[in-house]
Amino acid sequence: MTAPLPLPRLRLIRPTTVEAAIAARADCPQHEFLAGGTDLLVNMRRGLLAPPALIDITGIAELGEMRTTGDRTRIGALVPLARLAEDPVIADRHAALQAAAASIAAPGHRRLGTVGGNLCLQTRCIYFNQSAWWRAANGACLKSGGEVCHVAPEGTRCHAAFSGDLAPALIALDADIEVARPGGRRRVACADLYHEEGRAHLRLAADEIVTAIEVPATATRSGYLKERVRRSFDFPLAGVAIACRIEGERLSALRIGVTGTNSRPLLIDGTDALLGHRVDESLLTAAEKLVAKQVRPMRTTLFPSNHRRSIAAALTRRLLGTLAAPETAAVRGPSTEGP
Amino acid sequence: MTQLAGARAGVPLIDGIDKVTGRARYTADLDHRGALVGRILRSPCSHAQILRLDVERARRLPGVVAILTGEDCRVPYGVLPIAMNEYPLARGKVRYRGEPVAAVAAIDAETAALALSLIELEVHELPAYYEADQARAADAVRIHDDKPGNLEREVHHSFGDVAAGFATADLVRETVIDCAEVNHAQIEPHAALAEFDPSTGRLTMQSVSQVTFYLHMMLARCLEMDESRIRVIKPFVGGGFGARVEVLNFELVTAMLARTAGGKVAMELTREETFITHRARPQTRIRMKLGLGRDGRLRACECEVVQRGGAYAGYGVITILYAGSLLHGLYDLPAVRYDGYRVYANLPPCGAMRGHGSVDTRHAFELLLDRMARELGLDPFEVRRRNLLHAPTRTLNELAINSYGLAECLDRVEAASGWRTRRGRLPRGKGLGMACSHYVSGAAKPIHWTGEPHAVVNVKVDWDGSVTAFTGAADIGQGSSTMVAIAVAETLGLPIEQVRVIAADSATTPKDNGAYSSRITFMVGNAAIDAARRLRTLLTEAAARRLERDPADIDCTDGRFRSLSAADQGISFTDAVKAALVDQGTLTVKGTFTCPPEAQGGKHRGGAVGSTMGFSYAAQVVEVSVDEDTGRVSVDRVWVALDCGFAINPLAVRGQIEGAVWMGMGQALMEETRYLNGMPAHASLLEYRMPTSLDSPPIDAMIVESIDPNGPFGAKEASEGALASFAPALAAAIADAIGVDLDVLPATPDRVLDAVIARRRRERLDALAGGRR
Ligand SMILES: Cc1cc2nc3c(=O)[nH]c(=O)nc-3n(C[C@H](O)[C@H](O)[C@H](O)COP(=O)(O)OP(=O)(O)OC[C@H]3O[C@@H](n4cnc5c(N)ncnc54)[C@H](O)[C@@H]3O)c2cc1C
Ligand code: SF4
Repeated sequence: MTAPLPLPRLRLIRPTTVEAAIAARADCPQHEFLAGGTDLLVNMRRGLLAPPALIDITGIAELGEMRTTGDRTRIGALVPLARLAEDPVIADRHAALQAAAASIAAPGHRRLGTVGGNLCLQTRCIYFNQSAWWRAANGACLKSGGEVCHVAPEGTRCHAAFSGDLAPALIALDADIEVARPGGRRRVACADLYHEEGRAHLRLAADEIVTAIEVPATATRSGYLKERVRRSFDFPLAGVAIACRIEGERLSALRIGVTGTNSRPLLIDGTDALLGHRVDESLLTAAEKLVAKQVRPMRTTLFPSNHRRSIAAALTRRLLGTLAAPETAAVRGPSTEGP
Repeated sequence: MTQLAGARAGVPLIDGIDKVTGRARYTADLDHRGALVGRILRSPCSHAQILRLDVERARRLPGVVAILTGEDCRVPYGVLPIAMNEYPLARGKVRYRGEPVAAVAAIDAETAALALSLIELEVHELPAYYEADQARAADAVRIHDDKPGNLEREVHHSFGDVAAGFATADLVRETVIDCAEVNHAQIEPHAALAEFDPSTGRLTMQSVSQVTFYLHMMLARCLEMDESRIRVIKPFVGGGFGARVEVLNFELVTAMLARTAGGKVAMELTREETFITHRARPQTRIRMKLGLGRDGRLRACECEVVQRGGAYAGYGVITILYAGSLLHGLYDLPAVRYDGYRVYANLPPCGAMRGHGSVDTRHAFELLLDRMARELGLDPFEVRRRNLLHAPTRTLNELAINSYGLAECLDRVEAASGWRTRRGRLPRGKGLGMACSHYVSGAAKPIHWTGEPHAVVNVKVDWDGSVTAFTGAADIGQGSSTMVAIAVAETLGLPIEQVRVIAADSATTPKDNGAYSSRITFMVGNAAIDAARRLRTLLTEAAARRLERDPADIDCTDGRFRSLSAADQGISFTDAVKAALVDQGTLTVKGTFTCPPEAQGGKHRGGAVGSTMGFSYAAQVVEVSVDEDTGRVSVDRVWVALDCGFAINPLAVRGQIEGAVWMGMGQALMEETRYLNGMPAHASLLEYRMPTSLDSPPIDAMIVESIDPNGPFGAKEASEGALASFAPALAAAIADAIGVDLDVLPATPDRVLDAVIARRRRERLDALAGGRR
């Protein structure tokens, strides 16, 4: 007996090299890369997309490698989230990244889900992530081929929210993303991988694939705090990653990455103005305000957007406060614990 | 006593191994060979006249074997004989988004899905109402023609002198509490397998039902079949919590498809469809007013409840009656006025859910009592103690109270939680709260009154010495078959392994009303004991004949029948059976249980609802941490005591108590259905958030045994009683932690944060006002 909603019949292409993978995509841009499948297959079952073929990249050995050198950590796109969450070197060097990985979905997803899949996660919206019956009954929206956005009917863009947890950590840690394309590879700062447009949030050409991330190992303190309704198995209402350096009790470097509030993960602007100051109440308030001003949550979840904004601000204050406390070098916030 | 004597840990459920090893077969795992796939087309609109429903293109699709619409459904159905206003497939009109409109049976899922897409539906849309007050507005269009004001039922009950009660109270307070609609979210999605044999005209139905008898009856009704041609079997069922205590549209549709196709049809609903089928706790607004004396005595209670019941009647009348009648029975209340309004809306129909009708009103009552105690400077435990009942007694609305262990429940949780030393001394952001609750052990008057006993159990014993109990009671994971096995084994002095239980197959087991209102332990347990006693009498007589002694001299324990006067004289259980079978052959005895008329409630209209043979009682203390920056509430620990009369199986009782706490925690913290213009936006386990193991605190579950005079071995129900006290205890703990009184459920981070912001604003204003003074 088949399940009530069988996956559509599909073809699987199984390249063993990066070049073959992008060649297959260049052949037909509607093909989708399949990594852990924890996002893609769920979306396909709901009829959100029906690619003619899946390019299963899990046979490309190079993408599964993780290497630590003196000043950088290179993490292949296929490295499973569970490995990042459990690796003591990652926890030690890039605390924000470890905490972010540990906060994703539930243990089963983390064993299957990959770094590349997490960065390339589809944006989410309560009007979009529903069954085919639901979307048809409710009427299509911009993201599903319709004429109007149910969240902001006056606008012309889609506000579906980017909800990946790794990206804000990588943004805070100033990581680069390595992208392969026909004829070579390019590198891009993590924040620049994304657009503020829910329908097409990735700045990747059809024949490009994420191959690795490179995280510099600078002497920063970092952490990630994520708020969600339940402690596991839940996308972020908002997630904040911070990497900072404190020299002589003063802030000498600060990067803040935020997820869950916009169609892309945000690098918060204007943090330079806070450098050179002590991390005291007024600085925390200023940091909180920076975040509250820049995030743009819309009604794409069942939770009020103003609440997601308040949360992003509150998490920023809390995380920066904890990171700046003399005894902290790394933070895994209370809401990011978990198996 | 074998199982029930001494220090008892309890026994694992007799079907537990089948479940954990995966051997257990649930409806979707049954033999589907040769089965067609059934699928349902659902309404895209909330409220509309059906102008045209054209299935011809779908019918012509190769592979489609049967196709049905409302035209094929002539007979309405519904769980209450007085309120059958639903058809398996909509006729003439649709009333909520997701309502079944047509159904197909096809050779495979792809063909069935394609067929649905070929059905053409043309409608004339009508105004739709998603909130009770919209539906009740003077100019609202009627959802059902015979229900003006879209009011399904109003209830007005008044007992005692309410006005005088308030007049003598030192403190009178009134508050409005809003509780979101929740869903059972049982882990097994709905499924059914129906097989019609055209040569014999017989139908065999297997389904996830909690009420196989109702299903049997309703199949006969809607398919216009002779009852005797129908067999209903309940396979393993993955939870119910009330989701399956009425017959559901997909069950009837599956059977109708099977008959039309002249074969076997398998229907499996998606999680989304399972949520849409709904039948759970309605969105409820409660206006609660209490009068309290400075001495802590309750003087009067006035309560108005509005339930948004969804598009069809279902159990609605019972739910709105329960909400009022179970204001009684927990405390000594001198005067109570209740006004209930059950309202239709263009949403999936609500129904019964664990704690049926009582949970939201209990929340409002306990919450207000806690706030008023605070105002009067009284300890929450003390206030409860001043208002205890004394069994045996009858409440104002004629509910019989025969055993009452609430006082001990209070003592136990107060001591275990360290309430006296810790309450008020926790750091800011941490708090303790407490509340009480109760629930019925089975409705004393069944919905379908036939004059039959409330429960019948057959016990068969055969030449091999095996004992088999036959019960119609549906074990849906709550452990009822294990309870029957213990009751029979205990009465016959046998180890539990020697008793086999065959349950819920209408071809072999006696009729049973089903798994609802926590009736099985009390009613079926008593019937099982009755049957086993009758068998014991027969076996004792046979043993006495064999031993040539007087039956009064024979005792049966530990698998032997022994002479009391001559200890060396005895025969084994099996030999006694052999002796009894001489001249008789295989023995089958019947046991029954009937609730006496005096237990069946008052004479006032609706007075039977809430009546029961015994109430369970619970008290619990909840400890929380509240994050005032994010609004997150964490439950750190729960202490809960339940008076279940007597714990026939302490292991199972503990499991039920923990389950009740956990379910209460879900409703209190995060569970809620959410509709966007009538579209169920919550209909997945991602969006319908339930606590995970990481959200679950340690639960100290304590059992209090008040030994009910009528219960089986003194037992009462153990599953629903501890549910309703969680939410008010949590709300009280939040108030204790951060000084915020929440008037809404669930206490999601956004609602808590809003309340914190409001409190801060108030504090600022107060400070300003103070400065000016
Ligand atoms: C119940 C549930 C809860 C979840 N909770 C969270 C959560 O809390 N936080 C969170 O971040 N995620 C969550 N997820 C989403 C998902 O599990 C993770 O984001 C996971 O990291 C996705 O990785 P994957 O390898 O499974 O991706 P896949 O599903 O294989 O791919 C996702 C997308 O990325 C593309 N893709 C994959 N690899 C590459 C590549 N190398 N280059 C270019 N494109 C690529 C795919 O084509 C696809 O479009 C949840 C998912 C579920 C089902
Ligand atoms: S934000 Fe608007 S366009 Fe985008 S998915 Fe949601 S409803 Fe559709």
